[in-house]
Parts: sequence; C-alpha cells; structure tokens
Amino acid sequence: MLEVQDLQVRYGRLTALRGISFTVAEGEVACIVGPNGAGKSTTLNTVSGVLRPAEGEVRFDGQPISGRSPEKIAALGVTQVPEGRHIFTALTIEENLKVGAALRRDRDETRRDMERIYDTFPILGERRGQPAGKLSGGEQQMLAISRALMTRPRLMTVDEPSLGLAPKIVDRVYEVLTDLRKSRGLTLLIVEQSSERALKAADSLHVLRNGEIQLSGAAADLADGEAVHKAYFGFTKDHAGEVMI
Amino acid sequence: MAFALQVLIDGLSLGSFYALAALGIGLLFGVLKLINFAHGAFITFGAYALIVPSMDTTATLAIGALPAIPLIFLIVVLVVAMALISEFAVFRPLRNASPATLMVGSFALGFVIQNLIIMIYGGRPKAVGLWSHLSEGVQLMEGVQVPGLQLIIIGVTLLLMIALVLFLKRTRWGIHMRAAAEDFRMARMLGVQADLVIMLAVALSGVLAASVSLLFVVQTGILDFRMGTPMMLFAFIATVVGGMGSLVGAVVGGFAVGMLSILLQTFLPSEIRAYRDVFVFLAVIIVLLVRPQGLVLSSAAKERV
Repeated sequence: MLEVQDLQVRYGRLTALRGISFTVAEGEVACIVGPNGAGKSTTLNTVSGVLRPAEGEVRFDGQPISGRSPEKIAALGVTQVPEGRHIFTALTIEENLKVGAALRRDRDETRRDMERIYDTFPILGERRGQPAGKLSGGEQQMLAISRALMTRPRLMTVDEPSLGLAPKIVDRVYEVLTDLRKSRGLTLLIVEQSSERALKAADSLHVLRNGEIQLSGAAADLADGEAVHKAYFGFTKDHAGEVMI
Repeated sequence: MAFALQVLIDGLSLGSFYALAALGIGLLFGVLKLINFAHGAFITFGAYALIVPSMDTTATLAIGALPAIPLIFLIVVLVVAMALISEFAVFRPLRNASPATLMVGSFALGFVIQNLIIMIYGGRPKAVGLWSHLSEGVQLMEGVQVPGLQLIIIGVTLLLMIALVLFLKRTRWGIHMRAAAEDFRMARMLGVQADLVIMLAVALSGVLAASVSLLFVVQTGILDFRMGTPMMLFAFIATVVGGMGSLVGAVVGGFAVGMLSILLQTFLPSEIRAYRDVFVFLAVIIVLLVRPQGLVLSSAAKERV
C-alpha cells in the first residue's frame, strides 16, 4: 500500500534521511522505532506531504505522492496523528472532529461517524461543546485519533502516541489503535521511541537510526529483541558495558 | 450624564473604525501570520473608487453617485478584488518566506497602491459629498445630540462583527479558518484546503476594509491618499494591545484605543491637545510593559501543556 523508496530528506544542509526504503502492506501495523533525531517524524511528515524529499519517492497504491500538497495526500486517504497531538485547542471537541471531516460532503455519514466516536469515547461526547484545550493529555490523544478517523483514512500514521502519557493510558491508546485495525481494516504506520511497545503491537518493524534503516523485519522474527537492540543502539547488550566504559 | 453619553458615543464610533480595520489585519495575521501593512492602502483604494479617475481638483462621483445598495456592493467587490490580486501577486509567492519578509512585502504593496492612487488621482485631497444627510444630528435625549452617522457607524460595526462571528462559528469554512489560524499544518494534513481558506480570509479582510472606506468617507467627506495610513497604524496598535492573533483582542484593542483617544481629546488641556496621539502611544507602551501578551490571550498562547 505504501512504498517508500530511497527517500532522502534534507533540512538546509542537514540530511535527516539518507535514502531509506520500506513498505507497508495493506491491513498491517508497521512500526518505525529509533532514538531521538533518527528521522522518524521526518519520515511521517514526508509521507504526509509536509516535507518534500530531495531524492527518492513515496508511493501510495502505486502512485507517487511525494511532492503533492498535504491536503491532496489527505484526500487520497492518508492521515497523520502527529507528535504532540496538535489538537485545535480553541475549537470545541466537535469542531475538531468537523475539521477532520473537511474533505467530506456526506453529511449524514459524517454525523454517524461522529456519534460512533462519541460512543467509543464517551468523554468526548459529554464535552463535545467544550474547548478541546481543556482535555487531559490522554483525552487529547483520543481526540487526535478520532479526528484523524473522521477523514475516513486508509492509512493512518501515528507519531509517538505514547509521548508524555501515563503507562496505563498508553495501553489504552494501543488498545484503540489495534482495535481500529481489526474493526476497520485500517493500515497503521506507528512511530515510537520504545521498541518493546512497538514489538508487541506491530506486524513489521523498521529500526531507524541516523537517517538510515538499520533493520527491517517481521515483528515475530525479531521478538527476542537482541537484533533490534543492536540496530537501535549500534551495539549488543553483551557489549554494552564495554562501550559504556 | 449627557456629557458622558456624548463622549461614550464619540469613543465607540472612533473605536469602531479601529476595530473594523484591526479585524481585517487580525484575520490575515491568523491564517497567514502576515501583518498586512497594505490594509490601509486597501481602505484608501476603496474610498477613491467612488469617484471618476482624474487629476482634477474637484471630484466627480461615479460609483459614488449610484443608489446605496449597488454602491456598497461595487465598492466591496472592488476592494475584495484588490485584496485578492494582492494575494496572488504578492502574498502567495511569499507564502513560505519568513514573517518579516511578508511584512516588508506588504509595506511595498501598500506603497505601490498608494503611489498608483497619486498617479491616477493626483496628490491633493479632494472633497466628496457622500450621503451627507447622514451626518445630521439626532436627538438622543435631553441635551444629547449626536451625528446620526456615529450611530450608523456603531451599528454597522456591530452587525459586521456579529456576521463574522456567525461565519467563524457556524459555517464549515469558518471552522476551517479557525483551525488553520491555530495550526495551519495540522489543518492541511486533515484536508483543509489551504489556498481557499487563505483566499477567503483575504476576501473577508477586503470586505472589512471596504466598509471602513465607505464609513470614513461619509464621515470626513475628504479623499486623501494618506487617509488609510493612520487608520491602519491605529488598527495595528489595536491588534498588538488586544493580543496578536486574537480577533476578540483586535476588537477590544480597537475600542480601547478609540475610547482613549476620545477621552484624551476631551480632557487634555487645549494647548497640548494637538499631541493627543503621543499620549495614546504612551498608554500603549505602558499596556505592553504590564501585559506583553496583550489584553486578550490568543488561543495559541493558552495552549495546555
């Protein structure tokens, strides 16, 4: 469904992605893990059309999308739940959802989708008329996911959904995300810093460090974590002590 | 009491001008992060569009001679067209430039429009009599007589503000515009049409500029190529005092600056009354020292962390 090929992205003279390639199959949960500054958000923002690649290509359903505007890419069914959630704090919860429906003209269906979201997250329904900025971090994350769902996406990219949330709430967020895959057949591309969480949720895993994919594979094959650890840090657990000293 | 009412109405009507102009600037600042210093030139352009283009010292009304409804319609259309041309010719090519570059660009645009007006209409102020019957006094109560125009100005301003609020709160495009003003990138990732939202904001700011043009010409009866400049300057100050990025702030700031000007005008000793604006600016500096974020917090500033 999504093919990323030899993608290079630069910020001025700084190269953030040095030619990465990976694919996301329809209906799977793919995870990109990697330390801070690895280029994870850059990857998602390039897929979303916020950034333009210097080299390489992003294809969605076989057609190249890199270089198109974010709203055009959204119209194709690619949406992002960004890092830090980026809720419209001055808008009410309901208005946030309406912005998510920006491209839709099916009023009744939109309304029904909204009601469905309120059923899933009663707190959003109860406070639909209140400014979204008043929600807690976890509730904002749910709203960000719901708002992305309102676009009726086929591919949802999620940037660090666990950032700044209590472990219990992170569990809930992942529960919601994996449910979405089950109930709607949604394809997910999740970016995380912590590889443990990602290994549990993902079908396939890509480790990104220094703007390069260090390791790609099925999550089941990487379950023991050793190879992932090496790719993530650049050294194995056994040698970790030596390197540290 | 009567005196207080008189001062209040004076202050509100002057504040109305500043608030309308400040809203025009605030709308564009919201979605484009552009401080549009050409807004004053839009206002001037709307006023000159009333007369036949010529260097003659006496003005001949053209559009200005039409009945009220087509007159208002045509002036609004012309100013909106001017604003949209500016968007395509200047603001859009600079879309990804820094805010400072955009601001300088808007300054340049303002000068170009102003100088075109001088080239076409000449640099001398011209008198125009537009709807002068509106300026007749209205007896509000015993001993309080105000020009009817002032009430019209206040009324029109209130109507425009209500219409703008309804647009922003109740319509699809209004909600998109507010979302874009808070987080443009996020809005686009959800499919909000960036170019359309910006064009809409530019057009609305044109409508607001046109309404200031008309009200101002009716009130002063004079066309001057500089007429929009002080209006824009005070409107800019109003947005800063009110809180950059907040439309409520723009309105509050506009009325605050207008009210203060009238109060100073009324109570300053006559020998220093000519320096009224110095005191207005002084007050602005004091407000900004005490509340650098402005009187009304913008949504971006009160984001929950």
